[in-house]
Amino acid sequence: MNTALMAASALAGTVMSSVISLLPALHIYNLLGGLVLLLYGLQDTGFTIPPGIYLPFMTGLIVGWSMLNTIPSILLGAPDESAMFTVMPGQKLLMQGRGFEAVMVTAVGGLAGVFLLVGIFAPLAPRVLPLVRQVLTPHLHWVLWVVITYILISEWPKGGHWGPAGWRKFLDAWRSLGAGLLTFTLSSLLGFLLLYRSPVRVESAFQNILPAFVGLFAVPWCLFNLLSASEIPRQYVAVSIEVEADRILWGTVAGGLGGGFAAFFPIITGGVGGLLAGHATAQRDERVFLLSQGVSKLVYYAGAFLMFFVPGLRLRRGGAAWMLHSLYLPQSAGDYLMILGAMALAGGVSFLMTPALARWTIRFMERANYRIASAVALLIAVILVGILTGAAGLFIMAVATGIGSLPVLFGSRRLNCLGLLLVPMACNLSGFGPRVAGLLGLLR
Amino acid sequence: MKGIAHFLTGVTAASFFPWSIEQALDGNPVYFVLGGAFGLLPDTIDFKFYRFFYPHDVYIEPVPSDSHPQPIADRIAEAMATALREQRVIRVKLGTIRLGADRWRQYRLRFDAERREVQVQFGPTVTTGQMPIPGTTPSTPLVARAPLPAPVIQTYDAETTVDILDGPTFGLEPESGERIVLHFLPWHRNWSHSLLVGAFFAALAVLAGAWRAGMVIFVAYAGHLLEDQLGFMGSNLFFPLTRRRFPGAHMMRSGDTLPNFLTVWTCCLLIFWNLYRRTPDPLVSIGFFKFLFYAGVLPLLIMLVIRRLTRRGAPRPPERVDTSKEWSDPLIS
Repeated sequence: MNTALMAASALAGTVMSSVISLLPALHIYNLLGGLVLLLYGLQDTGFTIPPGIYLPFMTGLIVGWSMLNTIPSILLGAPDESAMFTVMPGQKLLMQGRGFEAVMVTAVGGLAGVFLLVGIFAPLAPRVLPLVRQVLTPHLHWVLWVVITYILISEWPKGGHWGPAGWRKFLDAWRSLGAGLLTFTLSSLLGFLLLYRSPVRVESAFQNILPAFVGLFAVPWCLFNLLSASEIPRQYVAVSIEVEADRILWGTVAGGLGGGFAAFFPIITGGVGGLLAGHATAQRDERVFLLSQGVSKLVYYAGAFLMFFVPGLRLRRGGAAWMLHSLYLPQSAGDYLMILGAMALAGGVSFLMTPALARWTIRFMERANYRIASAVALLIAVILVGILTGAAGLFIMAVATGIGSLPVLFGSRRLNCLGLLLVPMACNLSGFGPRVAGLLGLLR
Repeated sequence: MKGIAHFLTGVTAASFFPWSIEQALDGNPVYFVLGGAFGLLPDTIDFKFYRFFYPHDVYIEPVPSDSHPQPIADRIAEAMATALREQRVIRVKLGTIRLGADRWRQYRLRFDAERREVQVQFGPTVTTGQMPIPGTTPSTPLVARAPLPAPVIQTYDAETTVDILDGPTFGLEPESGERIVLHFLPWHRNWSHSLLVGAFFAALAVLAGAWRAGMVIFVAYAGHLLEDQLGFMGSNLFFPLTRRRFPGAHMMRSGDTLPNFLTVWTCCLLIFWNLYRRTPDPLVSIGFFKFLFYAGVLPLLIMLVIRRLTRRGAPRPPERVDTSKEWSDPLIS
């Protein structure tokens, strides 16, 4: 296969990801699912696209999306005053007019993540990861339980700072913690329902989890932007950013560990990886924190895809590898090198695209009414869910929106919504998932 | 140490017990979960429960309109005089100064034992991420001084920075009727950080017929206390037999990146090793020290060399010690 063609394919994927990443609610895995179906369809008609074309294209999509999706996450999600303590530093910088800086620091993290994968992980992975998989595979279930325990008990109270000691202070402090526990419990129940008795029609089963995720994470964000009267201050487009090299080093190592952990273990998502990365660095510096999140996100998505191609491993982790495995199985170390090359190219190009896209988004924010933008985002999300999963999906989305609004209202961790995936899967891996489903009356 | 380091220490402790792994292989994760939960329990007790019921005698709550920190200094000196006069511990709670949604006025508090005075100085306005807002540092330092009625003995840092969310507490304990012992955050690392309390929880498990769980609980709990003992504040290790905290080894601060990160990584390696040595026919055969060298020492050395190289030519001023990491919320909690 022509190397130039592969590079062009990777570039095309990267450019396409720049469009996809700006659309709310559309996850890269939704697009990849559509792409795999298209490739199957073409095969049926006798027209086959060689893997040397679509694999670099997919790589470009994944790497580009992991890097560029930061732009709408930071620039288009503005909290109102009451939510200032619970939003991530990216949004805080946005409210200080430093959204561009936040995007670029996160992008530096993404670039460092590409370097980590291509320069350090890639040469070691074929030797190390097969052993790691052999040792850890029988223990995946308890690792999930331990992660669940950590998510639940590591959230500290956000209130109770003022006033005399006593129950009033305690209850004020526990308001957010209680909401977090309630969110986690309700999400877990919803997860069991979707896993054992999903109302989504069978033909849409592939997108079973989509309405829940959109409801838990995307819709509350749009709704509260619509309802709040927050004004986005004028954004300052910095000419250069200052982050000391050793802080980049710590952020990279911590983000790499968090993202790598999430990429390797099933069901653990990039959000959990980001949480672990942030805690492991013990950092308060917002820029280092953002940087570690950029690394973590890229390593999570791109690393999970890369592990499918590691010679001697062929580990299927993450949606992209799962969708691809029925279409193509890696043949040789050549595939691995091709993916690595595509990653390096896509990482570099998407990093270079970031400032221009961020400036463009800032210009859009200055011209468009922020509430209208949020309403459009909400409309796109609802239409997508409706098309892909029908009325049942919209109903699930509505229920999930109720659950996903709790953290926003009470200032608790949004990560608690991940009970949706973590609890049913941990129960299943431990072997008592069906028993719990039976107790919930889902097996009748 | 930060929560994740304590939590992983507990999980690591559990991995050393053969029954934890045997049960885990049978689908029962309980020992690992217990290890993690009890590894974090001492701080959970303090930060999620005890601090809200800890009574204070004096609340110093500065208001944003205060243009000078003198009232803060005066009230601290006053509280100290009360402790001396009434010969009892006076607990003083310092409040934060909130200026807006994401804005706080920082102030520093320093007990100068030599001059026998307390000094309070207003600093810049900071964000909730504790980043100073440019241009908000007072051009002429506003320092308030108040004479102390007795010599002070400090058990922690001389200087405390107060800025976001919650403020610190001091216990002012008169000693021998003529001096005051300053206890920083008296509600933290007290009874909850006692080996005997850990033994009590373990004994409950043993009484319930789960002696294996009891062992995991005790070792995880004790691991937390030993890690904390490496820091400055120390812990009241033998409550109820002792009433005061034993001084720490002063080897690290709880918020320091390197020790936290090293602890997390070492725990990951030890857990992996414990699982590896119970794996039948591993793909690669490796000894403990070789494993530790390649997976622990070598990467650390490389990182330290890179760090040194990146810092060369641009020596940084020593970072200010941030005691607020001892009691305030982390960036992402």
